[in-house]
Amino acid sequence: MLSRLHLELIFAGIVFLVGVIGLLGSTALDTGWASDGPQAGFFPFRVALILMAAALLVALHSWRHRDALRRVQVANKEGMGRVLGFGLPIIGMVAVAQWLGLYVAMALYLLLTIRLQGRRPWFTSLGVAIGVTIVTFVVFEQWFLVPLLKGPLEIMLGLG
Amino acid sequence: MLSNLDALMHGFSVAVTGYHIMLIVAGVLLGILVGVLPGLGAPNGVTLLLPLTFTMDPVSAIILLTSLYWGALFGGSTTSILFNIPGEPSSVATTFDGYPMARQGRATEALTYAFLSAGIGALVGIIVITLLSSAVASFALRFGPPEYFAVYLLAFSSFIAFGGGRPLKTLISLMLGFGLGMVGTDTVSGSMRLTFDITDLIRGISFLVVVIGLFGLGELMLTIEEGPEFKGASGRIDPRAILRAAAGMPRHWLAILRGSAVGVWMGVTPGGPTAASFMSYGIARRFSRRRENFGKGEPEGVIAPETADHSAGTAAMLPMLSLGIPGSATSAVMLGGLMMWGLNPGPMLFVDQRDFVWGMIASMYLGNLLGVILVLATVPLFAAMLSISFSIIGPIIVTVCLVGAYTVAGSGFDLWLAVIFGVVGYLMKKLDYPLAPLILAMVIGDKAEDAFRQSMLVSQGSLGVLWSNWLVGSLTSLAILFLLWPALTALLGLRNRSVTGAVGSLRPNEGTEPS
Repeated sequence: MLSRLHLELIFAGIVFLVGVIGLLGSTALDTGWASDGPQAGFFPFRVALILMAAALLVALHSWRHRDALRRVQVANKEGMGRVLGFGLPIIGMVAVAQWLGLYVAMALYLLLTIRLQGRRPWFTSLGVAIGVTIVTFVVFEQWFLVPLLKGPLEIMLGLG
Repeated sequence: MLSNLDALMHGFSVAVTGYHIMLIVAGVLLGILVGVLPGLGAPNGVTLLLPLTFTMDPVSAIILLTSLYWGALFGGSTTSILFNIPGEPSSVATTFDGYPMARQGRATEALTYAFLSAGIGALVGIIVITLLSSAVASFALRFGPPEYFAVYLLAFSSFIAFGGGRPLKTLISLMLGFGLGMVGTDTVSGSMRLTFDITDLIRGISFLVVVIGLFGLGELMLTIEEGPEFKGASGRIDPRAILRAAAGMPRHWLAILRGSAVGVWMGVTPGGPTAASFMSYGIARRFSRRRENFGKGEPEGVIAPETADHSAGTAAMLPMLSLGIPGSATSAVMLGGLMMWGLNPGPMLFVDQRDFVWGMIASMYLGNLLGVILVLATVPLFAAMLSISFSIIGPIIVTVCLVGAYTVAGSGFDLWLAVIFGVVGYLMKKLDYPLAPLILAMVIGDKAEDAFRQSMLVSQGSLGVLWSNWLVGSLTSLAILFLLWPALTALLGLRNRSVTGAVGSLRPNEGTEPS
């Protein structure tokens, strides 16, 4: 499976990339030092440079200890499977929420994960899904008057 | 000193109202819930509740949030002892002896030791705050922008010197935080920074959404990977064992004293509760006459980390209140809350907002006292709740986190951000990148930058202003020394044995994350 070495290098790569993006973003600004001190882009530019340098050093350090790090497994197959099985539905829920609103998305998410992954009976899954959604609605919309993301269904029901 | 007592009495008159007591009880109970559930920690719990406090009076809001924090600290110990699963990173050290005690059928005793020593530790922290905070604040009133910048720099660089993680990884964490905090409108010049013409980025990236991702979703993924199962001792409470343990407390006065001292120190400096509890455990084991009993169910092995954990948690409020510099991730979130309620954190609070400051300090006494009682009374309830399968609780926690992320600004874009930071948090935890520096840098990074740029405006762009008097000069020099500390020790061939060593020898896989 994935070794610690790979993961260290991958994350260092991501950090380096973030640094590059920051660098590109800050070059649009004045990165200099004027008579009144640093300008708007001064710090972003340097933070980006430090990020890139630190990412390179971490990668270098990992590479120098590659033999030891290669032997360390960061995750086994079952663990990775569980993480993906847990994470992907969350992405699905967020995608659905943009379109159908948070309430519908969360009810669907709860129903499907508890039923299909938790292998609970339909009765339990449906009960939790509807119960949690209604409690959320009451707490946020009625008690604290904080409106959540709504979709076509709520508007149809006259709740939007 | 006497004026502090007067102020405290005034604080009690603010805090002791029916409404506030109700908030304390609600906060502590919610906190215990947050602390008991894996994946929902103190920083995340405070973050989720924060958007709901925007309409509240600041005093009531801070009382609710701090009470939640105390509850979370108590709740974290419960699962450590009963199920060997630390509900909070700072209660990892409690599992070493707490769980063996529970296995021997001494769960009630272990819990009582834990809660009472936690209560005493918290009390010590609050007394320190009561006595020192206004003195620190009045000293800080003389600070100008250069002094402030030097203090901020000191906070950041002490993470690198003493944070416990690998210095390079701490640096990356800090820089990511700075970078994220810079997105949006520049407060000095008003120009847009790093927004890449994406409209959702113009208002900046909220640190609250980042906390929910890093500490909430990321933590959940770690929990799910290990396949959580709550198997362990029963949560039944035996009243006689409570009394027996309470009667046995005075015998451990030395461990309590040492634990409080370690905790207060680590709380005021950015070491945080997690490092404090590990360090206190290590010290207790080294000096105990019953050393060989540690790890097998020694009461002192529960008392030492718990005292330090709570005294660090409360003492972290001292720099937050009097200087506007948080000592832990949770207090960083609270500091952000202060700004959102329209308060200006820092020494001026002690002048302008006496009700707020002293009401909060008084509520800390009440919150921890009620916390000890409430947590003992509700152990069976929360233990029973954990018998519900994680396949149901896990998804519910996810929805709570995402709803929380949405309420921060009412933006669907933030849901995506929370998910992205969930993945980032999971990876960072896996690779031992500390998370607290990122949050700290996000919350006070732009304040540090403002302070720096204001100092430069005053000095017409000369760095000499950072050494213009003995105070700012020594602060700046100390900060630079801390910054170079890892390089210096490496150069001299010394190992940083202080925190890293003590923690590393106990459990190599656990990060030293201040929560």
